[in-house]
Amino acid sequence: MKFIGLVFKSARRSKRRTLLTVISVALAVFLFATLRSVLDGFDAVSAASSSTRIVTIRSTSMIFPMPTSHAEAIRSTPGIRDVTWANWFGGIYKDPKNFFGQFAIEPESYLRMYPEVILSPEDKKAFLEDRTGCIVGDGLAKKYAWKVGDRIVIQPGIPNYGSQDYPFTIRGIYKAGSSAIDNQSMLFHWKYVDERSDVKGQVGWYVAEVANPDQAAQVAMAIDQKFANSPYETKTDTEQQFSASFASMLGNLNLLLGSVALAVVLSTLFVAGNTMAMSVRERTTEIAVMRTLGFPASTVFLLVVGEGLAVSVIGGALGALLARLVINGEFLGLAGGFIPAFGVTNWNVVVGLGLSVLIGLLAALIPATMASRLKIVDALRRVA
Amino acid sequence: MGLIASYNLRSMIVRKGTAAMTAMGIAMVVAVFVMTMAIAQGFRGALVASGSNENAILLRKGATSETVSAVLRPQLAIIEALPQVARATDGHPLASPELVVIISLPRQSDNKPANVPLRGIGPRAFEIRNTLKFVEGRRLTPGMREINVGKQAVGRFKGLTLGSDVKFGNTAWKVVGVFTADDASFESEVWGDVELMMPAFQRGGYQSVTVKLVDPSAIDSLQAAVAADPRLDLKPQRERDYYDGQSETTGTLIRVFATFVTAILSIGAIFGAMNTMYAAVAYRTREIGTLRALGFSRLRIVAAFLAESVALAIVGGAIGCLIALPVHGLSTGAMNMTSFSELAFKFRITPGLLMGGMVFAAVMGAAGGLLPAIRAARIPVARALREI
Repeated sequence: MKFIGLVFKSARRSKRRTLLTVISVALAVFLFATLRSVLDGFDAVSAASSSTRIVTIRSTSMIFPMPTSHAEAIRSTPGIRDVTWANWFGGIYKDPKNFFGQFAIEPESYLRMYPEVILSPEDKKAFLEDRTGCIVGDGLAKKYAWKVGDRIVIQPGIPNYGSQDYPFTIRGIYKAGSSAIDNQSMLFHWKYVDERSDVKGQVGWYVAEVANPDQAAQVAMAIDQKFANSPYETKTDTEQQFSASFASMLGNLNLLLGSVALAVVLSTLFVAGNTMAMSVRERTTEIAVMRTLGFPASTVFLLVVGEGLAVSVIGGALGALLARLVINGEFLGLAGGFIPAFGVTNWNVVVGLGLSVLIGLLAALIPATMASRLKIVDALRRVA
Repeated sequence: MGLIASYNLRSMIVRKGTAAMTAMGIAMVVAVFVMTMAIAQGFRGALVASGSNENAILLRKGATSETVSAVLRPQLAIIEALPQVARATDGHPLASPELVVIISLPRQSDNKPANVPLRGIGPRAFEIRNTLKFVEGRRLTPGMREINVGKQAVGRFKGLTLGSDVKFGNTAWKVVGVFTADDASFESEVWGDVELMMPAFQRGGYQSVTVKLVDPSAIDSLQAAVAADPRLDLKPQRERDYYDGQSETTGTLIRVFATFVTAILSIGAIFGAMNTMYAAVAYRTREIGTLRALGFSRLRIVAAFLAESVALAIVGGAIGCLIALPVHGLSTGAMNMTSFSELAFKFRITPGLLMGGMVFAAVMGAAGGLLPAIRAARIPVARALREI
């Protein structure tokens, strides 16, 4: 403990060098925490997805619709408590670049089965009563500066929905109560869309609630069996599996972000290791004097490791703090709604700090060994 | 310059440990830069290779991709009669009415279902897309429930091997041929007869018509002809331009990610180079003083140290390029946002990209070396010579 002062004293020896190293480590930890939070975001979506809700889509692919008659057939399957349905709208708000999820939903049952869509009772009532009403996530409302009562126009992007624009009135702004719910989406009445579509009675997917989550797999199979050999065969999965398969289509994120993270750590290791080596080389004479005075080699070793740790952990703390403050849901929302928006969590911060400890230790290892093995006579004879 | 250049070079070799560490720091950044950009290039390359300058694709006006377009059956005959459409030796116009639907097949690697594009084609499609080559089997016969599968799709999805039956659209389809297409996105697709696809997927019309032009320059007169005909509410565009536009959304996303990561990483590497160069200047204060006393100007000193730093960075850049090089040609997949399906492509490292990596390294070296070089030039000669 009594050596702490000495550790910081030697770190301050070359202020500029220490500062540059601290910032390098800070940036690396910042980047690491950010990448980690993106990956966590995708995992959180599948983890938070309910295991009592099961999703039924067409067996060919979810872009093909099913008839509305499936609703009653699913409802009558034993073990099913509730059913709702939705359809992907894929419309354009002003510019095709403004990409966000738009879903035509059966409002009453949908809001009943998704209590995570948090809406005030008044807003909910207003939305249910207005056939051309819609509700939007708070993230989306913030992005386009929408407020309750605003009228927005969506241009249909899929030919089935006709070619005329769809006007909507915002009746409420919902909050997402769990990470399974996207706060960058827009929900509106399925009936409104159906009335204006060229093809009537189209449902993209059904969501059913099973009474007992342990039976979800059996119930799902029973539903698929009902429609087997019909023109509209189905594939039913729990919501968890459904979102996991969706995220996996974005490509092998784990591998890509993992290798980037490895490169981040390695490149920082080179910078920090270099700094420590320079610092030790500069102090060769001092270290020799300390050894002459009777400090054991182990103390010298620990002093250098301590310096490496101090520099690296200060940097790591700065980087993690910066990531915690800057990278929040809104920032990730800038990526256009493709990345689930959660931001850096406390756990990411802890992992980032752990990483900086590792960098500090590894970077100081070789210089510290060099310092502790120094031949006193040679070192003292050296000038400069 | 010869003397001073060799002086800097030799000093670098004397301090090889530090120099190597700095170079490696830069190498890692360049490697990440080249690899992530190789993904963006490969993705774009796969789509751009699909488009030919000699072909035109006709979509509904305002449609941004095939999936949201519609072409009616009677419109095909009108298009085929246009003089800008090339004809085969048998006199038949080279036009292929097409329909793309998405089907879901289990992936080879993890057995999870993924979206695969299924393209219904007209009988002339293979003459229009002349880059297509069959590596196994033969072309599908129009009117038969037969499919051809792209080489990439065979490897990535289960049950697409030659001779097997695949079930979709409530019927079984036989795989009779496997094709390659110069790494184009077609290699991720499954092709079948459009006239059989339409009833199987309850579609009443086509989505697009691709035609071979009599001459690449005929595109303007084709556009004029289509615009003048009120029966055709379609927009022809050069096939290559169309596919280039398709790569934009995902391509931009990957590039933004690559820029964000490498920008932050490069700051760290620049600081590393700065540390090294400051140390180099401090160690050599007396030598710099000697050089100045001999009459070397301040500018020469700045240039010399800057060159040393850039040389160091270029060595790092070369190592980085070498680290990244093995990923070239590896195939991977990513979601194509416009068609909502998986597109397989290869990492593509071009000489231009490697050049870019080297330039990036040189810029990092220059940025890291500038301040230390200026400090070196500013050292007062008398004081520098007095230092031991």
